[in-house]
Amino acid sequence: MKSTVKGRWRLAVALGVVATLGVSGCGLNEDNASSSSSSGDSVLRIGTTTDVSNFNPLQSLSKTDSWILNAMYPHLLRIDENAKKAPELAKEYRYEDDGKTAVFVLRDDFKWTDGKPVVADDVKFSAEMTMKYKLGNVAAKLTWVESIEAPDATTVKFKLSQPYAPFAEGVGFWMSIVPKHVFEPAGDLSKFPNDSNWVGAGPFVLDSMTKGQRYVMKRNENYPLAPGGKAAVSQVEYRVYPDVNTMMLALRNGDIDLMGTPVPVSAAKTFEGDSKIKMEKVGALGFAHLTYNMKNKFLADQEVRQALSMSVDTKSIISAVLQGDAQEMAGPISPTFSEYDNSEVKPYAFDPAGAKAKLTAAGYKDANNDGFFDELAFGVACDQSNANMTRVVQLFRESAAKAGIKLKNECVERNTFLSRTKSGEYDIDASQWGVFDNPMDQLRSTYLSSNPGGINYNLLESAEIDKLINDAAGTTDPEAFKAKIKNLDKVVHDQAYLTPLYVENFRFAYNASKFTGFSPSPSDLLGMVTAYSLAQVTPVK
Amino acid sequence: MSAPVLTEQTVPPVAPAPVKRSWHGYLRQPSAALSVLVLLVMVVMAVFAPLIADEPVGAGSDVLHSPSGAHWFGTDDLGQDIFAQVVWGTRTSLVIGLAASVIAIVLGTAIGLASAYFRPIDAVATVVTDVMLALPTLPLMIMLAAVVSPSVWTLTMIIGFFAWPEVARLIRSQGLVVSAMPYIDGARVLGATGWRIVTREILPAVVSLVIVSVLLTASRAVISEAGLSFLGLGDPDAWSWGRILLNAQRSGVIAIAWWQTLFPSLAILLLVLSATVAGMRFNDTRDPRRNGG
Repeated sequence: MKSTVKGRWRLAVALGVVATLGVSGCGLNEDNASSSSSSGDSVLRIGTTTDVSNFNPLQSLSKTDSWILNAMYPHLLRIDENAKKAPELAKEYRYEDDGKTAVFVLRDDFKWTDGKPVVADDVKFSAEMTMKYKLGNVAAKLTWVESIEAPDATTVKFKLSQPYAPFAEGVGFWMSIVPKHVFEPAGDLSKFPNDSNWVGAGPFVLDSMTKGQRYVMKRNENYPLAPGGKAAVSQVEYRVYPDVNTMMLALRNGDIDLMGTPVPVSAAKTFEGDSKIKMEKVGALGFAHLTYNMKNKFLADQEVRQALSMSVDTKSIISAVLQGDAQEMAGPISPTFSEYDNSEVKPYAFDPAGAKAKLTAAGYKDANNDGFFDELAFGVACDQSNANMTRVVQLFRESAAKAGIKLKNECVERNTFLSRTKSGEYDIDASQWGVFDNPMDQLRSTYLSSNPGGINYNLLESAEIDKLINDAAGTTDPEAFKAKIKNLDKVVHDQAYLTPLYVENFRFAYNASKFTGFSPSPSDLLGMVTAYSLAQVTPVK
Repeated sequence: MSAPVLTEQTVPPVAPAPVKRSWHGYLRQPSAALSVLVLLVMVVMAVFAPLIADEPVGAGSDVLHSPSGAHWFGTDDLGQDIFAQVVWGTRTSLVIGLAASVIAIVLGTAIGLASAYFRPIDAVATVVTDVMLALPTLPLMIMLAAVVSPSVWTLTMIIGFFAWPEVARLIRSQGLVVSAMPYIDGARVLGATGWRIVTREILPAVVSLVIVSVLLTASRAVISEAGLSFLGLGDPDAWSWGRILLNAQRSGVIAIAWWQTLFPSLAILLLVLSATVAGMRFNDTRDPRRNGG
């Protein structure tokens, strides 16, 4: 008790001092007229850092968007706590016709909140509209679809132009199923805002919102994946806290019950000694990486990329920035996909002197003797709101200097960073992949020259890599498929198109004295707030 | 009678002896002496930063330690020493503060004097100054800083560019008083050119005001720099007080590491306060109404 009071005083002083600066960047929003007393403890209040920017589940989504929309619109498959695909709306799926037809069998007990059942036609409609208007990242996953059939209410058949092993997993996990009878009258779905009168079939459906403050979701009285046929919590409320410090304080004060955003590793101590707050740890489905722009004359040189990879001290980054709570990786395939990760591939060892020798051998010179190779100066772009990445870039810049490579820290404001990433205005991109649900989709979207997923940040155009990827994509035999992915893992590693940094763990904090029963999935995108997890939560009596 | 004063009775050409005396009088005021001392200490810290503390680099094992003998101001979430960061931050803050204020002073004085003496310029310059003063500076600075790539150099330009109007207005009003004085007419009758009158006759009469403005503008520039850096728009390769605060906020440790926000904030407070007090006291010593001139 004593220590909390002291802690609060410290915080008050610290916040006061920051406030005296007269800087108005972070809004300490939130009216504290708490609504918790009105309907008891069955309102689960979740903190998030941003507003919902898009309510159309078929389009690209930010984190808050997908949290809220995924609770409303079911998916065929979900990712469970072991990072494996589990059934959600689909009971099962199989391939027919030598892998050229993917068949999903749906459950028959999902219902839209307006009473209509969720049927195969809804799935067919969702996929067709996504293809027609090329919506979101799902459109790229539907590339091979030639036609879709819904022979009865619970069967959907995707006819493919060629076999593609991870098709069902990719589409099943990523595609939101929307109600045809509500979305069809809207016409052009690329312009449909879907920002009122929501009809969903998830455990919760949006009811009202106040932008910048809260999003209130009411329980769906019929959700078959919840233990009692409907969620135990009657209402879920997302509250917006732009600043993570404020959000942590709100959790401690009981203004919210769960932080949707992970607790920064440096701040984990905040909740030490608070018996009510519990932390739940999950793994990642993506990883942090440095990606080299192949359009840069010098970065197009394999020797330079390898030398850069040798000048990143990933071990000390993991121990300092992530306080040891992360895994090292090599090559583009994360150890999360243990069956596909090539264990022969080892990370480039941290060796700035070796990197320097390598570059000298490759003919790079330091004519003006300033300790840096004359031509090797690169900018490292990152999103400055990402605490870990800014730290990584800071350390990378220092260690690369030892290898004679001059780096400029170009961590900029988030929107500037995103627009630069989009237009390829960077030398080295330091960022984090959020969720890859399978390695084949990952390799396709990150290395194909046609850039179907829009995230080929290398801007790589290599006929050889294209051939290897397309060859793997058409392989149906599981063992041959694995071998081809492992080979790609090695080729990309040898080419050093990227330097993978770490696969981190995420910590989510919640008030265990009020709610229990979360079923967390890996990654910070899924975490504690998947539809399935929210449906399992029960209030503590 | 002795000090060069800025009211109607002014006799502008400045004799050396009174200057010395007024400096002496200025430093005899405890508040002025203290502020000048603080400013001097800051300058020494900035110039000799490498001798006082090693540049904060790499990562240490002492993560988030509270202030102690080994780490006077504690450590941050990478285990870097906050004291070293504050000392090195003094460099950036002072360089940007001074350089931006020089830009503002040069622009402001030139525009202020020109509009005080040349009537046709005045009409335009006053409107421009008023418009600039009415602009919401912080959002504009944020926008600009987000567009250009952030560095000490670009920050200085941006802050300097937005700080000149207040100087211009101050100098103009004083310049108007001076240019209406008989000795200016005298100079004109003797055939002095406009350039000569402005630079040799009016400028010396407003120079003490310029000194005051340098101090006040510099302190405002330091605040702007800290603010922009706190918003992530500062130079990511240079230590600055705003950046230390940003690091604390971004890594979510404000609640548990009070030292990471307290010390850089104190540094900002001290610098701004002493620059303001030093400037105000200087203005006072020059004010005839106070020293009975």
